[in-house]
Amino acid sequence: MGTLIRDILEESEKKYSEIKAVKWLKKKEVCERSYREMMTNAVSVRKGLLAEGFTGRHIALIGSSSVEWIESYLGIITGKNVAVPLDVMLPAEDLADLINRSDSEGLFLSPKKLELLEKIIPECPGLKKIWLLQEDAPELPEEKVSCVGRLREAGRKCEADAERPEAEDTATIIFTSGTTGKSKGVMLTQNNLASNVISVDFALDPGTVILSVLPIHHAFCLVMDWLKGFSLGTTICINDSLMHMVKNMGIFQPEIMLMVPLMVETIYKRLSSASPLIPKKLVAAKAFGGKLRIIITGGAHLEPFYIDKFAEYGIDILEGYGMSECSPVISSNTPQSHKAGSIGRPLSNAEISFEDGEILVRGSSVMKGYYKMPEETAQTLRDGWLHTGDKGYLDEDGFLYINGRIKNLIILSNGENISPEEIENKLALNKLVGEVVVTGENNGLTARIYPDQDVVAAKHMGEEKIRTELQAFLDKYNKTQPTYRQITGLVVRKNPFIKSATKKIKRQEALIDEAIS
Amino acid sequence: MTKEMQFKTIVAQYCKVKPEDMTNETKFREDLGFSSLDFMSFLGELEDTFDVELEEEDVLHIFTIGEALALLETLQE
Repeated sequence: MGTLIRDILEESEKKYSEIKAVKWLKKKEVCERSYREMMTNAVSVRKGLLAEGFTGRHIALIGSSSVEWIESYLGIITGKNVAVPLDVMLPAEDLADLINRSDSEGLFLSPKKLELLEKIIPECPGLKKIWLLQEDAPELPEEKVSCVGRLREAGRKCEADAERPEAEDTATIIFTSGTTGKSKGVMLTQNNLASNVISVDFALDPGTVILSVLPIHHAFCLVMDWLKGFSLGTTICINDSLMHMVKNMGIFQPEIMLMVPLMVETIYKRLSSASPLIPKKLVAAKAFGGKLRIIITGGAHLEPFYIDKFAEYGIDILEGYGMSECSPVISSNTPQSHKAGSIGRPLSNAEISFEDGEILVRGSSVMKGYYKMPEETAQTLRDGWLHTGDKGYLDEDGFLYINGRIKNLIILSNGENISPEEIENKLALNKLVGEVVVTGENNGLTARIYPDQDVVAAKHMGEEKIRTELQAFLDKYNKTQPTYRQITGLVVRKNPFIKSATKKIKRQEALIDEAIS
Repeated sequence: MTKEMQFKTIVAQYCKVKPEDMTNETKFREDLGFSSLDFMSFLGELEDTFDVELEEEDVLHIFTIGEALALLETLQE
């Protein structure tokens, strides 16, 4: 037994039919779709996929938040297919690799990313069909490329509809940074997602406005902004770019927003720079559009300082905790029950336990496993308990706290999880790089490099030359990477790193004995 | 105020560096300590001040003051 996302959506379509489900900006005009219109489109996608022979297949999506993206996603997961949302900011070669590793046979692609076709078509032979996320496309570059408007058209003409999935069927595969240097595909079932949506204890009136500012391929945004928002009949407004977040808060006047701590910190910088003579309520109205009352944060640690400061402006910040592997919320503060500094009480469907201080989670939102990675799955899921890699404790009132990490992941305050090994492997390809450790500080990444002494000797390189050459290499690397994976600091070491008996670099001692020039 | 000075005055709201100390080679992240979100908000302000429209694709590979000024120049032409 279990619940399907399809059950939740069909219920919402009945209850909230004429309420606006999605709003977005086209140039300066506000466009909108009601729950009925959105679901009609999602069903057409679902039937269209069936008509094109897609049943039990994996289908990837590449694009930033858009109404076409979410309708296609819903069309995939309400039938018998599996949706694989990918990060639109990744380089073409990484996207091709993820399409192949996830065995995706279909792809929904943003029309802004047409240049990816050049790489993806030859390198992903398993892809049978690509639909551009646009209504119509007069000229299509390839036979296997179509557009979502035509797919829906085909679906509308079809009588047959896809069967309902089983609750234990995989609904979606979400990629997350792996500690072994390779990202892992988290398999979440229909029931994993649906029970997370149901268990997050948060009531809102239908039609409440939410502004969605996080990337849609992230579990936090996808499940909590979109799926949870749809379950409550809220109106989700799309922030077209982080460049326009403040302006869009004025246009859409949201009451609720999900953010990562970096956003809270940046907004606070601006709030606090206003003249102290202006009443705080007025400052807040200008900065947040006038109606914002709750910010929900997750993805990284938030300094409790900001919770007190935002309260002065009439805004409650509620911190939560989760990871893709748990669909994603594990615990959350709520308007009724919250404690600053804690990450809230565990959800009703999550059981918490500890092993040597590490937080373990069991329950209906815990993933099925990593796609085609049995070893990594066995390491993380033991006897039904998911090992989070975070250290923490529960207080006497049942609130959860985090006080350390076990895994090597670097968590930046924009919520991105960075696997240092993944980047180190790429940097180590340069001959001048002898040893390298990537660390996270000041909210950016620093590469600490011990140059290869043979190369230095052979080329008679001085300190200045080494630094210039390494910096030029990093600049070149940065140009190929999304902002959050760029290296913003360089430390050139004079001594090799401290190693363990097995000759492995001792990561926690990477900052010792640097003797930098 | 020249366009360049107006531009640098906006930059200065996000960091502790004075406009006159910024050069074309000054890097937003490394030298001025911009976070990725500071940078995006800053670009939004540029759009409003100079009445231009920026595409996220165009700004991805901008690292220095000089590069941003050059882009602004092209867009205003």
